[in-house]
Amino acid sequence: MSGDRKEVVKLLAEFSTIGMSVAFSIFIGVGIGYFLDHKVFAGRTSPWLTLIFLGFGVAAAFKNLYLMSRRKDL
Amino acid sequence: MEHPILFISFILERLGLPVPHGLVGDTVLAKLVSPHMTYTWLVMLFLILVPKLTLGKMTLVPGKGQNFWEVIIGGLEGFMADNMGKEGAKMMFPMLATFALYILVANMIGLMPGFMSPTSNLNITLACTLIVFFTTHILGVKFHGAGYIKHFLGPIPWLIPLMFPIELISHFARILSLSIRLFGNIMAKETLLGILFMLAGAYFAPLPILCLGVFVSIVQALVFLLLSILYFSAAMEHAH
Repeated sequence: MSGDRKEVVKLLAEFSTIGMSVAFSIFIGVGIGYFLDHKVFAGRTSPWLTLIFLGFGVAAAFKNLYLMSRRKDL
Repeated sequence: MEHPILFISFILERLGLPVPHGLVGDTVLAKLVSPHMTYTWLVMLFLILVPKLTLGKMTLVPGKGQNFWEVIIGGLEGFMADNMGKEGAKMMFPMLATFALYILVANMIGLMPGFMSPTSNLNITLACTLIVFFTTHILGVKFHGAGYIKHFLGPIPWLIPLMFPIELISHFARILSLSIRLFGNIMAKETLLGILFMLAGAYFAPLPILCLGVFVSIVQALVFLLLSILYFSAAMEHAH
């Protein structure tokens, strides 16, 4: 592959992860919160930790998007 | 949904082994002879035997077989050296080249009737991804010692309680996205091929999907290789 093609393939591979990383970040946030709520604290804190970690998940998703959008080499 | 005929499972069933009809069996023996395990061993055998048979004696002026393998190994090493530097490529080459070749052959093998892609089972791809994930963090600790924690804390000190869970979540999202992408693409290919063979196999309906399957197999193997390279090099460089 020539230099240009290689660069394009690399960027494609990197940016094809955006959608999935957004979705999975949110799901993992909710999962951790749900686990803490129902398994660690046995439902006493429900539903607050789930909501807080949902917020963390969304923040993680947007942080990844923000970092991708600020890349200098594009 | 599985392929109609898996010849290894067929032979093993005739030998009296408890080949499971679902994805994973109940007992240890049934787990060992489930299709994705037996086909993984087939791919391993292929990758061990075929280079042994085709390589012949190593000579200074390469023959046909040696030339082929030199192009593949040289190409992989050049690709890795471009993305993570010569030193890193030298260190991580055995592991990553194994992953790339294994995933490539495992994806391609499902295109033949009677074979199945081991990577169309989430257990296989999750195992590969967990190895990459733990190696990333072992590399980080090896290169930075206890300072590796700075990778998780972000640039501003008073934002640490916010940044730490965010970074942890985005690291765990890597496991899911890496494993589910490979699994989803290959399982979609296998399922689509199975359905098309069943519906209109006599009229060559699966032919375009077979061509796309070759493309998807190569692209997914490359993407897995590239993303693990990126994760490794991110763990090796300094926190920003």
